[in-house]
Amino acid sequence: MAAVTFNNISKRYKDGPKAVDDLNLEIADGEFMVLVGPSGCGKSTALRMIAGLEEISDGELRIGERVVNEVPPGDRDIAMVFQNYALYPHMTVRQNIGFALEVAKVRKDEINRRVEDAAEMLGLTEYLDRLPKALSGGQRQRVAMGRAIVRSPQVFLMDEPLSNLDAKLRVQMRSDIIQLQARLGTTMVYVTHDQVEAMTMGHRVAVMRKGVLQQVAPPQELYLRPANLFVAAFIGSPAMNLITADVTIEGDDVFVSFGGHRLRISAKALDRYPGLRERNGTKVIFGLRPEHFAMEEDLEVGDDQVLTVRCDLAEAMGAEVHIHAVVDVPPPAVDGAPIAAEDDPEALVAGTKVIARVDGIHTIAMGQDVRLAVKTHLTHFFDPASGAPLR
Amino acid sequence: MGLRDRGPRTPRVAVDTGVQLVTAWHLVGVAAGIVSMLLASRSGDDALPAVIKLFMQVFSIAVTVAHLAAAYGTFRRMRRARTVSLVTNYLLFVVSGSALLHQLGAFTGIGKFGTGLNKAFLPFMVIVVGLLWVLVAGQLLSKNPLAAGPNGLRRAGWGLAALASVWFVIAADPSGMLSMIGDRITQPLTLGTLAVALCSGAATRFMWQRRVAVRFGTSAAEEQTLSGLAFLSPNLIGFTFFFAGPLLFSLVVSFFEWKTTGTGRSFVGIDNYVRALSLDISSSDVANAGNEVLKPGYQVLMHLDWFGQNWVLGARDVEFWISLRNIAIFLVLAVPASVLPALVLSSILASRLPGMKVFRAIYFIPSVAGVIGVAIIWGQLFQSTVGWINYLILRAGEILPFVDPPAEGHPWVSSNSTALLSMVVVFAWMNFGFNTVLYLAGHQSIPKELYEAADIDGANVWQVFRRITVPQLRNTTFYVLITTSILALQLFDIVWILSTPEPGGPNNATTTPVLALYEEAFQGNNQGYASALAWVLFLIIFGFTFAQFRQQKDGATSGGVS
Amino acid sequence: MSVRRKGPKATAIRVATYVLLVCVAVVVVFPFAVAVTTAFKRNTDIFTYPPSLVPKKEATIPAADVGLEGDPVPVYSFPDRDDRPGQWALVDGDASLAEFRPLDDLERVIVLDVKAGEKTGETISIDGEEEDVYLVDDGGAQVEAYRSRLTSGGLFVSVDDPSTSVLDLVNFATPAREFGPRFSNFTEVLAEKDPETNGKGVGRSLTNTVLVTILVVLGQIITSILGGYAFARVQFKGRSTIFLMYLGSVMIPFVVLIIPLFQLMLQVNWRDNLVALIIPFAFTAYGTFLMRQFFLGIPAEIEEAALLDGASRSTILWKVMVPLARPAIATLATFGFLYAWNSFFWPLVIINSGNPDNAVLSLTLSTLGGRSSTDTNLVFAGTVLAMTPPILVFLFAQRYFVENSASSGLK
Repeated sequence: MAAVTFNNISKRYKDGPKAVDDLNLEIADGEFMVLVGPSGCGKSTALRMIAGLEEISDGELRIGERVVNEVPPGDRDIAMVFQNYALYPHMTVRQNIGFALEVAKVRKDEINRRVEDAAEMLGLTEYLDRLPKALSGGQRQRVAMGRAIVRSPQVFLMDEPLSNLDAKLRVQMRSDIIQLQARLGTTMVYVTHDQVEAMTMGHRVAVMRKGVLQQVAPPQELYLRPANLFVAAFIGSPAMNLITADVTIEGDDVFVSFGGHRLRISAKALDRYPGLRERNGTKVIFGLRPEHFAMEEDLEVGDDQVLTVRCDLAEAMGAEVHIHAVVDVPPPAVDGAPIAAEDDPEALVAGTKVIARVDGIHTIAMGQDVRLAVKTHLTHFFDPASGAPLR
Repeated sequence: MGLRDRGPRTPRVAVDTGVQLVTAWHLVGVAAGIVSMLLASRSGDDALPAVIKLFMQVFSIAVTVAHLAAAYGTFRRMRRARTVSLVTNYLLFVVSGSALLHQLGAFTGIGKFGTGLNKAFLPFMVIVVGLLWVLVAGQLLSKNPLAAGPNGLRRAGWGLAALASVWFVIAADPSGMLSMIGDRITQPLTLGTLAVALCSGAATRFMWQRRVAVRFGTSAAEEQTLSGLAFLSPNLIGFTFFFAGPLLFSLVVSFFEWKTTGTGRSFVGIDNYVRALSLDISSSDVANAGNEVLKPGYQVLMHLDWFGQNWVLGARDVEFWISLRNIAIFLVLAVPASVLPALVLSSILASRLPGMKVFRAIYFIPSVAGVIGVAIIWGQLFQSTVGWINYLILRAGEILPFVDPPAEGHPWVSSNSTALLSMVVVFAWMNFGFNTVLYLAGHQSIPKELYEAADIDGANVWQVFRRITVPQLRNTTFYVLITTSILALQLFDIVWILSTPEPGGPNNATTTPVLALYEEAFQGNNQGYASALAWVLFLIIFGFTFAQFRQQKDGATSGGVS
Repeated sequence: MSVRRKGPKATAIRVATYVLLVCVAVVVVFPFAVAVTTAFKRNTDIFTYPPSLVPKKEATIPAADVGLEGDPVPVYSFPDRDDRPGQWALVDGDASLAEFRPLDDLERVIVLDVKAGEKTGETISIDGEEEDVYLVDDGGAQVEAYRSRLTSGGLFVSVDDPSTSVLDLVNFATPAREFGPRFSNFTEVLAEKDPETNGKGVGRSLTNTVLVTILVVLGQIITSILGGYAFARVQFKGRSTIFLMYLGSVMIPFVVLIIPLFQLMLQVNWRDNLVALIIPFAFTAYGTFLMRQFFLGIPAEIEEAALLDGASRSTILWKVMVPLARPAIATLATFGFLYAWNSFFWPLVIINSGNPDNAVLSLTLSTLGGRSSTDTNLVFAGTVLAMTPPILVFLFAQRYFVENSASSGLK
């Protein structure tokens, strides 16, 4: 078992942009690290560089103490689970799991013992003599896991291993992988585009965008203290509402106004975002998670902390209701493109869309005006030009 | 507990010692190269043709330089040296290995192996059955089709094959072959070649290793190039020696007067081409003037009557021009005859009615049956007195009023007028099935919705065929036409067997370009001229290929239906 | 084409469709039927008119049926005295017979036992010779005749009614023919070449062809797998250039290569040797493309997984890629088999000494079945032997073959 260290790693393809740009990341020994980001963000490339499947254009990659830039994949002592599992179709489960050992010329009885141990751990014992095509998706996924763990590698690499499973199985496998990693204590690098997976599984999560590392932090910190606008928008579901607003400071009170609305911001928010004070009279991007709304009757706040909007759509989820509304300001943009636009075509609507999560006991009709209390002490503020938080 | 529990196996030769040995070996190579350079340039040895001598000199120089570079590089541990050494050693290994096999008579000894096989054919068939059993037993006899094959059954197959192999060896009696190898291997030249092969082989094996690559700091890209070329090398060597080299040689020879034997070879420039293509036309007063009205060296190709004036068309190589005329006629008849039925039949076979696969298989059989057998069979069918064709025409005449059978059996292949037509029949019969299958592939790309739409519009079968199937298959049709034409242009085998009284007969009615080329090269011993004919033919064929290429490109850009 | 409509018109179209298909199938199958039946015929049986698809032999019946012992008895067919056609078994081929000619019709011949007839005592002068006049039995009636000749002939017994017997000259009778395939055509054509036993040496050609075919197919499979893998999966310098050259090579017709290849074979002394049919053909650009195409279709992750498992490139190739490529290899093997088995032009050029030990089937057949052919039955036996393996291979490998001939345009 070993740590994995990226030192100024870059990956350039011929006549293309950098797939990974100057990545610095230390993955501790035994850590469960999740790389997350929208497609094309370079997370898979980073993973494949650890595996040795992508050449490293620049920088230094270490596994443990060893620099592995020029070490071929087979000599890196790592195991990988692929998105499509990449099982050998012509080999039985037993042969699939044992292939690495066979290649390493381990004795036959030793191979059998270790394959059976791994199969036992994953509940595959009765399928050992089947071919992959006779297995269900979940079973195949477990065979791929078995192939990885039988080698007792220094690092596990997983490339979206759950994305081919149905939703229910995915939840099940998620907890299985967490427990497996805890039991084996092996360093794990896990790539996913699904931020829920990232939040629930990783000890730490590395958020990437367009080849650049945005933030590495434990999941809760990502949620509470996003390092920039992108992370703020990416983490959380439904995503954080980001609204371009004008800041007015009147004495100790800070007000944000947008699309005819005006909210007073709690002083607690100012403690977290002291930089806001210097923005009097300027535009900022004001971030408010859907769960930080409540119906006015559920939360006692001042009148100046209530937002009145027209409900365009009410999605009853059972425990909660999602209220969709639009406020009349252009959606915020960073680098000229609307943020979060990568997965969000809705961001192209004329106004800025706002989603509020309120308690499920309420019945809300479409077109109805609702009064939403805002927990303004939990709001976030970002610089509209750079996307940096106003800390 | 990783994979590496057992620890790395101790290497047999330390890297540095090994590299020193390789350096030493390269120095030996330099010395040997210089010696052979001197030997090759030594005058007085007239047994070797100049070309071979030149080749040997160039080869020796190349080997010497490569060895020198490799020796210096490996001595200094230069990064590229491993690549140079590997390439040198590998090529040397291939060359010396082939030379060794040649000296041992392994290549020409294959005829002796044929004798053994002839004596031991039965045990050989048992071996084949055993191995086939190994291949298919698992799939056939296993209860669970998804499980891998049962090992016991496979072992039985292996066992059978092994037993039969013993039987085979006893029956084939290889003692003669072995004693021959034993005799030859003790000769000094053979022993020398063996030594070179062993040394270069061992050096290649050693330098190939990963740990040596690490020592030399070979980059991953270079490693990829090496392994790519290594994988490709058997193919590439064959490609060079049996395709690219001969191709170049053929072009060179076409500018020579060239005989099979060493004498009578001289450079003639483009004379061969001029001779093949020269035509002369001259008017004449008499209707059937002879060669005398033409330029000297020209013979009458045909008589023409234009606007009341008699013309004589002559050529220097009359037979070639006749063969061109024949092949043009053949093309015009045989290509539609093997494509049109395919178009119609494939439209029916694509309908997925029951039994279509059976018909498809039947139609395909003539194209796999072997042209010689097919020609022999048709020769019998065309037989004038007791042949089935004449008999069936006679019987048809009894039933159908419009068939007028000749009183005596018509001699199909020995009559000037029908000889070429007979070849057309055989060609079309052999190839329409293959074309049908090509068309069937084309049918698969026609969207089913078109037919459904036509059905709803109430189109009848003919309208559907005419308005949907044929236009949609345009690209396929083009492809089929071109491939069939290329095949037809190379007509040889059918004519060789069928035409009478000699190949190309009667009276050159069935002479084809390939036949003319064959006769020039292998019966007339004019290999230079025949090469020129080959290139002329190639240019004609290339015209078709090029058209096909252009069409494919256009098809790709304009796109069919998606 | 949708022919799924219902109604009488659609049914008629469907029937017509099948009739057309069957007619074409007959045209395809009929020559093969002629070949197979001819292969079982006697040579005399081939050149009879009208042509027939049934191999016949001269008929016999068991000796016991006509009250004899020993070998089967030959059967002849000729009309009896009442001009009814009949089948007659020849029970004694060497009976002493006498030919009588009735005096009222000297052209007619009555064949009777040598002891038959009673002399009337009169004589008659025929061509200046005095001949005794006999009273002989002519189909129940007694006629006067003279004995024109004493000869030996046949005693025939009716096949239908063994009690009826008739004497006749054997050369007047035509032997009856019945279904009778001649299997020894095959053994004769296969036997070693020998004018005395009429062996044609096709056996040796057959084993030579098998040898050549197997080695060519093996060679093509190995070189194509290696080359296809390199083109598909190894990134090496010069790959696209070499690949383009390979693509271009497909455009070159074989006739262009035949003269230089012949020269090359002369240089290495491979002329008139089977090796000249093997080594130059163990490399195929088509096969390399076929394998490359297949390897490109195998997900890259499978290979990457094997790389991570520590497998070397060659381990990956032989343990992972090749087992997966079985369908492509089967296709390649089928094409290689058909090509090697049926090839003719090159053997004709290079195996030219007439030594039967170096000949292959196509070559031997072309010599046997050529213009100066004799023993047509043996030629056809050889033809059938030569055609059967490729047709069987095609039928078994049809799945691979038909699918891929379309996609690759191989021929």
